[in-house]
Amino acid sequence: MKKLLLTLAAACLLASAAFAEKKEIHIVSVNDMHAKIENFPQFAAVIDSLRAIYPELLVFSAGDNRTGEPLNDLYEIPAYPMVALMNQIGFDATTLGNHEYDGGQANLARLISMSNFPYLACNIIPDPKWGINTLPYKMFFVNELRVAVIGATQVGPAGHPDTHPDNVTDILFTPVEETLQEYKWLRDESDVVILLTHIGYEEDVELSKYVPWADLIIGGHSHTQVAGGEFHNDVMITQDVNRLERVTFITLTVENGKVIDRKAKNIEIAGYPKQNKIVAEMVRYFSDNPAFQRVLATLTAPMTTYEELGCMMTDAWRVETGSDIAFTNTGGVRYDYLPAGPFTVSDVLRLDPFGNDIVQFQLTGQELKDMLIATHYADIEYGFPKVSGIVCEVIMDKKDNKKIKDLKITNPDGSKFDLKKTYQVVTNSYTAAIAVSPRKDQGRNLNRTTASVIQEYLEHQGSIDYTGAQRVFQSISKK
Amino acid sequence: MNVTVNRTKIEIFEGAQAQHAVLNYLVRRRLAQSWLRRGRIQDAYGHEIGLDAPLREGQIIKFKLQ
Repeated sequence: MKKLLLTLAAACLLASAAFAEKKEIHIVSVNDMHAKIENFPQFAAVIDSLRAIYPELLVFSAGDNRTGEPLNDLYEIPAYPMVALMNQIGFDATTLGNHEYDGGQANLARLISMSNFPYLACNIIPDPKWGINTLPYKMFFVNELRVAVIGATQVGPAGHPDTHPDNVTDILFTPVEETLQEYKWLRDESDVVILLTHIGYEEDVELSKYVPWADLIIGGHSHTQVAGGEFHNDVMITQDVNRLERVTFITLTVENGKVIDRKAKNIEIAGYPKQNKIVAEMVRYFSDNPAFQRVLATLTAPMTTYEELGCMMTDAWRVETGSDIAFTNTGGVRYDYLPAGPFTVSDVLRLDPFGNDIVQFQLTGQELKDMLIATHYADIEYGFPKVSGIVCEVIMDKKDNKKIKDLKITNPDGSKFDLKKTYQVVTNSYTAAIAVSPRKDQGRNLNRTTASVIQEYLEHQGSIDYTGAQRVFQSISKK
Repeated sequence: MNVTVNRTKIEIFEGAQAQHAVLNYLVRRRLAQSWLRRGRIQDAYGHEIGLDAPLREGQIIKFKLQ
């Protein structure tokens, strides 16, 4: 009997010791990579090093994996290089950032089907006809622990993520805070609850008030560099600046089904001394993208001036956005000669390499006139803007040839331009930022890059000839 | 939309990024736009944010030369 009691006591001690065992979960989180594929060889080397120590390492992305790098965005299957690289590295999950929708619903469905990791977002309901296979959450079993990861995507003031509305016509978005409450039950079913959000740092701080049952928010969207992890309302929040400059390495310690310690630190990727050779080779392969040599249109005569190329660029923005008038800062036209022959994707990216977006305004004629003059002064090294939909006669000061004495605007047919009428005007996001002038409408980003709109225009035109095109005429004041 | 850069109220287009607000601020202050690349942008909490960080209505950011 005594022997039996001793055996039972020993068993109880062993059981309680086992029950009290501390276990760790290790995570690498990234956000807003924006297709910075050049940093992937170093990033992969960091993951390799950590996996050598922590074989069950989890790798999560808080969204915006794509958009911002033509090598990725203009690939034959747009954004496929990022999917291939994320597959190679072995991501465990991503949420959907607002830019995940940039390729439209068919492209999103295709990319998801090609990904070896799930796309998590609890607050989206896609129409089944597109086959956009997302999950609200996923339960990971790591180191004998249950780790629930719930995704949440950004919903802007327009009721959808910040992308062109045409990209999300058949997806319903629900409010993040309210929708997350529907998944509170996961707390009871898990040892660890992680929210993988793409809503912005300040919004994550606000969200933490409503999700005290979460252990960790891995955030994205605002490109905020958090030093390791910050605690708000007892929820740890992490985020890094964009383009894979840094990632966050997180360690969660669990005891008796409860997270008892949370640590996070940032790891520099850009200057990391090692590279993963396979990933480096993949990046080289994707960098030799044959899609850049794709012919968009035929140039029947050479373009030989900034004015001709500026006319073409602004025509593209005006026509493709259905606007009345378009203009660009002259510094935005990057070359002044293109021989007759094929006009390729590469030619467009050299002409307009900045990744600017189209910004649309409703402006009176007077407001437009003020904005053109403001652009001239803010971009004075390059001079008066290039325009479409109007003709400008710029009279410069006799004593100071950079100072505008007068600006006369006419319609393309030579008729009088109405300064009181309201026009739909487009320009690039840089010009919209630097043109400080009085106007009622501050404009809105159409979430279409200026370069992609030029490509669409060229494809729609088939062949173009801008020989002698000129809409801005400069003269010197006689007085 | 309205955002604030270094306590200066800026009116900027919807969907603007941090760099657009800072460029607008520099032009308003008659400062060289090239300063954009020589400074750091911070949010209201003092965190560094990227040049192309999206802004929202009412956001407060700071621009500091390095």
